[in-house]
Amino acid sequence: MSTTPSPKETALGGTAETSGPNQPSSTTWIWIALAAVIAVVGVLAFVFTRSDGSTGGGSATPSGTVVPNGKVTIGSVTVSGTALPNKSAAGADSAVGQTIPTIEGETFDGTKVTIGPADEPTIIMVIAHWCPHCQREVPFLQSWLSANGAPEGVRLVAIATANDAAKPNFPAGDWLVREKWSVPTMIDDKASAGAAALGVTGFPYFVVVDAQGKVIERTSGELSAAQWESLINAAKTGTGQPSA
Amino acid sequence: MLSEIRPSDLREVLTRAKIAPMLLATAVSTFSFFVAMLALLCWVAVVAIGIGALVHRFASREISMLESLRSDIARIALPLAWVIALVTMLGSLYYSRIQHYVPCELCWYQRICLYPFAVILGIAAWRRDAGIRIYAIPVLAIGAVVASYHTWIQAYPPSNGTSFCTADAPCTLRYVWEFGFVSLPFMALSACCCMIVLLLIARPTPRTGLTPESL
Repeated sequence: MSTTPSPKETALGGTAETSGPNQPSSTTWIWIALAAVIAVVGVLAFVFTRSDGSTGGGSATPSGTVVPNGKVTIGSVTVSGTALPNKSAAGADSAVGQTIPTIEGETFDGTKVTIGPADEPTIIMVIAHWCPHCQREVPFLQSWLSANGAPEGVRLVAIATANDAAKPNFPAGDWLVREKWSVPTMIDDKASAGAAALGVTGFPYFVVVDAQGKVIERTSGELSAAQWESLINAAKTGTGQPSA
Repeated sequence: MLSEIRPSDLREVLTRAKIAPMLLATAVSTFSFFVAMLALLCWVAVVAIGIGALVHRFASREISMLESLRSDIARIALPLAWVIALVTMLGSLYYSRIQHYVPCELCWYQRICLYPFAVILGIAAWRRDAGIRIYAIPVLAIGAVVASYHTWIQAYPPSNGTSFCTADAPCTLRYVWEFGFVSLPFMALSACCCMIVLLLIARPTPRTGLTPESL
């Protein structure tokens, strides 16, 4: 007893140490049993979360992790091609007619998404979780989309950028799930490389691109329904070079 | 302005290697389920030890099986408490460093009360020094109180918010909500309570070989 148990401790223990060092196997068995239980729990965790799919499979109460599906809060983005220049506050937008770069990344659930010259006109929306204008614009556009359906022949895609855990309403995925946002949304990386490649100067930000991947129009700020519809119109009509 | 990969950024490297997306996308629900089950196991241990203690106190005669089991558990209590501290710390670091869940103010207080024991109880377990309980239990009790409050406000978020809640790290946001009640502070509470109980029944046991004094 060189580790000097105080009388109090032995009193707490009730009876004196009876097993002593001659019985190491009994504690070994407890360790083995614990390890086995934990292994079983691990297997259960694996099986249950696999068969469950995403959330709330069998149980009546909502279960699982409440943050967005996939929980990607800050993404990883690859940009190839020439970045668009920043949009100047006044005057003609020098990016009009320029081909947009290709931005590869993931949505919140880890699905690959690519933004770049596609075969159809595209409207790219750039939003930030902490920006009050975006917080109003997202539900507004979503209600428009729910009422009117996705615009025919125009691809809608978004980039959730400027993701910052130190700012309000983080993570963006949580917010967008809450708003039932239906537009596929790429999650930008720490350096906001995706937004930078589009020359973003403010939020929300919209880039209208034709079927050849050339910029038709760029705009920023909250949109009215009329302004939003005019962007869709620009996307549809701005593609008027079928022979190109 | 184009995306640049800094070699120092481990997360980037892991992402390229497809390890991080795999961890991020598939593991978090499994991990949460797993640690939630471990938290429940902690309560099983607390209740079992509590019942054992009551039986021991009020039984008219000694039950030899209970005595030997108690003695065995007393001997593994310190290392087990250390393992719990270690797992709790690693789990919390997984959520904040890998999943980027932002710890709120209350989370930080619980971390302050729990993290040191990942080292301290390791040393105590190695030294077989159950006397550590005198220092450890008060700290863990503070952690348990904070965790209880945090568990409460996550389960029943007050409509007018709390003084601890900030917009960037809201303390009422349920990052994890397993089985309809297991939240992250509930896990911290489970760990604190289980460690307290284990420390209470821990007994110093003689080392067969070297003792710290003989080194």
